[in-house]
Amino acid sequence: MSSIITLTLPGDPLFTEVARQTTTSVASLLTGENHSASDETQFVHDFELAVSEAFTNSVKYAGEHDTPPTVTLSFELEKRRLTVSLLDANGPFSIETPAPDIESYPENGYGLWIIRKVMDSVTYRREGNSNIISMSKTL
Amino acid sequence: MKTILAFREEEFAWSHEVFSCLHPLLLPLCNKPFIEFLIDFAILTGSTAVRILCDGGINPIERYCENGSRWGIALSYGSLHADDSAQILLGKNRKFCGEERIMIVSGFSFIRYDKRLDYKSLASSLPEGEWAACPGGSITLSGAPEKPPADGAAAPLSLMPLDGMASYYRASMEALETGADRYVLPGYGGEPGCAIGRNVVISKSAQIRKPVSIGNNVQLLGDTIIGPSAIIGSNVIIDRESSVESSIVLDNTYIGEHLEVNGRIASGNRLNDPRSGASISMEDPHLLGSIKKSQTLSALPRKVAHALAALVMIAVLAVPFLFLWPLLKLGGRWRSAQIDCHSENPGETISLGKVELDATNALGAIASTLSLDHYFRLFRVLTAELALIGSTPLPAEAQHPNAPANALAYRPGVFSYAEAEQWPATGDDAAIVERYHLVHSGPISDIGLVVKAFVNRPHEKSSA
Amino acid sequence: MIITETSANGIVIVALEGNLDALSAPKLRGSPPVADPKTAIVLDLEKVDFMDSSGLGAIVGAAREKDDPACGIVLSCMNDKVRRTFETTNAQRLFHIFDDTAAAVDFAATRQIART
Repeated sequence: MSSIITLTLPGDPLFTEVARQTTTSVASLLTGENHSASDETQFVHDFELAVSEAFTNSVKYAGEHDTPPTVTLSFELEKRRLTVSLLDANGPFSIETPAPDIESYPENGYGLWIIRKVMDSVTYRREGNSNIISMSKTL
Repeated sequence: MKTILAFREEEFAWSHEVFSCLHPLLLPLCNKPFIEFLIDFAILTGSTAVRILCDGGINPIERYCENGSRWGIALSYGSLHADDSAQILLGKNRKFCGEERIMIVSGFSFIRYDKRLDYKSLASSLPEGEWAACPGGSITLSGAPEKPPADGAAAPLSLMPLDGMASYYRASMEALETGADRYVLPGYGGEPGCAIGRNVVISKSAQIRKPVSIGNNVQLLGDTIIGPSAIIGSNVIIDRESSVESSIVLDNTYIGEHLEVNGRIASGNRLNDPRSGASISMEDPHLLGSIKKSQTLSALPRKVAHALAALVMIAVLAVPFLFLWPLLKLGGRWRSAQIDCHSENPGETISLGKVELDATNALGAIASTLSLDHYFRLFRVLTAELALIGSTPLPAEAQHPNAPANALAYRPGVFSYAEAEQWPATGDDAAIVERYHLVHSGPISDIGLVVKAFVNRPHEKSSA
Repeated sequence: MIITETSANGIVIVALEGNLDALSAPKLRGSPPVADPKTAIVLDLEKVDFMDSSGLGAIVGAAREKDDPACGIVLSCMNDKVRRTFETTNAQRLFHIFDDTAAAVDFAATRQIART
């Protein structure tokens, strides 16, 4: 009962906006019966934020190879659950990140932490030369 | 008139330690979240808009209160610094305040008020400045009075700081005893001093002694004694022959058999003594005892019964399975994935296949009705990795409040007790039903429940 | 992203419009009043629709460079979405946040007088 949408974008920060807008349109398709408008708004926003972070990371660490980098997003829609996966060909990384020590005014290192905070579950796996980070949340 | 509610994290740091799963502003006093008392009071003073400020995270409050439409007011949120003066708060919220008179309620304190009194004209006529105060809390008014002062009415208002478990306990009991006369409290009750929520099952032999307040989805089993002065939250089971007196039982708590809870705050598996501040993990001997028994003495008959029943199901479902599975598989309507779940033994995981069926398809619908998505799992019962009926398997990755480390009882099964009871399978609610059956169910009643689960599952799916 | 600079009461107001993300964050860091440690500014976020951690990092990083990190950048008029990004990381603790730009300017001006 689920549908899958995939989208491959060039690994360039210019396309972050496209990734985000696609995400918000897809996330808006989910509507719960017992949920208020503000739950739905927050659900859409959480995905917008998480995808923006994940896409930015993919783009940031791309460029160590010859072919132009790409990022593939796939959206798996279930009745009340959305899973967004990002696939890129960068080097492996870990999604385990400590909470940023905000009092020392850090300029970087919030991205993965935000993703894990706003999503229900985040998994990472390495397939061949690709990274796949999957983020899902139930409305 | 508008109201600003200002909180500093430091004021309720104690609550994070005692009630870690709950945002302190949502801590229930007599089954009503703390913040709602303040919102009610703001409304009594004639406020049309309320802004909640805190120097820490308030997302849980936002999710609970939303935009205030439930109360017919506008609710908004913001942040502050712990050392901000009232003047700075007014500046930081200048757009919100506009030209109106502002009441600032500052601090984590319980406001004693009386809903029958006219705070509206008082709030609009009192001179600027402090209205009421207590250590760590205050109510101040700013902006010129909207009306001439009323004739010297004393302010029937006082504040009580909630600075620890003891004061939280006192405030809760006070709200219970003054009852629905002074505050708006949840629950129905034919007589004063007794408020009962929805879906409450009270055994014939249970006794209820006023005053009590009981939440939603509560089961009071045989020979329990509730009250006097008992506050029972939602999703609570009080097991046989236990008594709860002068105590607070918070949401999602299971009180085992033959327990005497007096002058305590029970929350999850913790039992707190509000007077001494002591807090122990309530691994109550009776509840644990019966789980132990089921693990050693009755485990074998249970496992045998489950395995036999599983064999029967495997045999009966083999024909439809062998017919439907290849068709669904070929049609791409049988999608499966492996997930790691917590096993019955703490710290271990088992890998389970998770199958998703497309029930919009006729064959898929038949397969779903026959629970064929669980077919492979039935074999795991034969190897005793799964029970035939038990808890819903919990994914190992998720940090869940009901994870085996926190829960009192957990035994993953092919079917779950929550399915048998057609309980909405959402988190804590379902877990409490499952815990109940894990403790009380025997091999024979398990088989009955499997049949119920088998029959109920498709309904649940189609209505979901 | 469009960056507009105005000033009032001796305080520079930097108004942003658009999305504050990895694409636009360097532009914000490069803006002279934002980068100058001595200039206390009010950052008007009213027209920022979306902000992610790159945008947040730019604001936090710029504040760190200020002589007075706590008051060097005063924030005003953020929408709920942006506010949530701040709260997810607890970064709201680092800033004074106003719902009105004029009030933020008044605050920044008093703080500047107090320091000099």
